[in-house]
Amino acid sequence: MSLAIRPYYPDYSTVPTQHHFNPYADNGGSIVAIAGNDFVIIGADTRLSAGFSIYTREQNKLFSLSGTTVLGCSGCWCDTLTLTRILKSRMQMYQQEHNKVMSTEACAQMLSTMLYYKRFFPYYISNVLVGLDNEGKGCVYSYDPIGHCEKATYRAGGSAGALLQPLLDNQIGQKNMLNVKPESVTKERALSIIKDVFISAAERDIYTGDSISINIITKDGITQETFELRKD
Amino acid sequence: MFLTRSEYDRGVNTFSPEGRLFQVEYAIEAIKLGSTAIGISTSEGVVLAVEKRITSPLMEPTTIEKIVEVDKHIGCAFSGLMADSRTMIDRARVECQNHWFVYNENMSVESCAQAVSNLAIQFGDSDDDGAAMSRPFGVAILFAGIDEKGPQLYHMDPSGTFVQFDAKAIGSGSEGAQQSLQEVYHRSMTLEEATTAALTILKQVMEEKLNSSNVEVMTMTPKNLFHMFTKEQVEEALTNVFPAEHPTPIKVNKQKV
Repeated sequence: MSLAIRPYYPDYSTVPTQHHFNPYADNGGSIVAIAGNDFVIIGADTRLSAGFSIYTREQNKLFSLSGTTVLGCSGCWCDTLTLTRILKSRMQMYQQEHNKVMSTEACAQMLSTMLYYKRFFPYYISNVLVGLDNEGKGCVYSYDPIGHCEKATYRAGGSAGALLQPLLDNQIGQKNMLNVKPESVTKERALSIIKDVFISAAERDIYTGDSISINIITKDGITQETFELRKD
Repeated sequence: MFLTRSEYDRGVNTFSPEGRLFQVEYAIEAIKLGSTAIGISTSEGVVLAVEKRITSPLMEPTTIEKIVEVDKHIGCAFSGLMADSRTMIDRARVECQNHWFVYNENMSVESCAQAVSNLAIQFGDSDDDGAAMSRPFGVAILFAGIDEKGPQLYHMDPSGTFVQFDAKAIGSGSEGAQQSLQEVYHRSMTLEEATTAALTILKQVMEEKLNSSNVEVMTMTPKNLFHMFTKEQVEEALTNVFPAEHPTPIKVNKQKV
C-alpha cells in the first residue's frame, strides 16, 4: 500500500455519505450583571440571531422567577424556552409545597442541579442568575451549561462574555490598578457601566446589538428599562 | 365490636356507611398501647422526652431508640409499632437530604412532616409506584425542629394528619399527659422548665419508676440543634423532677392503662 495521496471524487466514493443531526443552535446574545449592597442590576441585549441573520431585534432574555430573582439566558434559544418554562413551574410547585417563595440561594442551587441532570445532553445556555439574598444583599450566580455554579458580584456571559468580563474586572473589581481604595459600586454607576459595556460589545460582537433590556432589583421590587444599541 | 362494625373494618380502602375507615381508626388506637412521648416547643427551643419500656432486666436499654435525628435541625420521637417507624424515619431523612441537595437549604419542619404524611397515606391498593403498604402505619410521630420560623413541634397520626402543637403527648399516657401539659404550658417557658415539665409529667404517667435508663431526652436549640442527652445529662435533668425539690408540683390525673 503506497502512502501517496489519492484524489477524492465524491461521485465515485465507496464510503456512504454521512449526515449529522445537530441538535443545537447558537442564537447569540450577551448578559451582564452587577450586584451592590442593596441592589442588583442585570442587562441582556435583545438581538436574536443565527449566523449572519437576525431573527428579531426585540427578544427579551431576562426572566423574573420571583419578586427578588431574575434569570438571564443566552445561547440556544429553544433550550432557553424549555429551561425557563420548567423553572417557572418548579418555582410554583415549591411555593405550593413549602408555603413560601423560593429564595435566590435556593433557586441558584436548584438551577445547578437541573442543569446537571442534563449532564449528557446539556441545555446549551449561558445562564446568569441574579437576586437579593435573605439579607437583601445583591448577588450574582453564573453557570456553565452542565451546572457549575459560581457566586460573584459581577459577571458577563453569553457571546460577548469573554470580551466584557475583563472590562468589568477592571471597572468594578478594580483589578490591575494601583493605589485605589476598595469601594462598593453604586446603583447609578453600575447602570452606566452596563450601558457602556454593551455599547462596546455591540461594536465588536455581531451577535450583540439592537438594544438592551435592563432589570434593576431592589427591596422595593423589579424595575425595567431599555437602552438602544447600534442596529447594524 | 365485630357485630356493630360489621364487615367494614376489613379493608383499608372501604368506607363504612357512616363514612369511617375503621382500619385507620384502629391504627390510631394502636398508638395508645405504645410508650408515652412528650414534646414541648418553647421560644428557646424544643424538647422531646420519651419513655422506654424495659420489659426485662436482661434487655440492653440503649438499643431501644425512640428519638432519632432526621437532619441536624429536625428530630423525631415515636410511639406505637417501632418497626413501622423505621420506614418513616428513612423517608424523612431522604426527603431532608434531597431538599438540601436540590435547594441548598434546610427543609422546614412542616415540609418534612408533609413528606412523611405522603408516605403514611400510601396504604390500600398498589399502583404504578409499586406495591403499597397493606395497612396504615401503626405509629404516631412528634417532629421537633428548628427552621426559619423558629422552634416548631408537629404531631402526626397514622392517618397522615399533621398539626402543629406548642406541647403534645402521644402514647399510652397521652390523655393524662396532655391534660397536664395544658396546665403547665405557657409561652414564656424556658427550655429548662420545659425539660423539667416533660420529665415530671412523664414520671407521673409511667408505670415504672423514672430513671436515667428508661427515658430518652432530646433538645433542639438554634445554637446546638439536635442534642441527645447523655446518661449523665438525663440524671442531672432528673434532679429537678422530684416533687420535693420542684418549686411548683404538677398535678397529674393518673390514667388507667
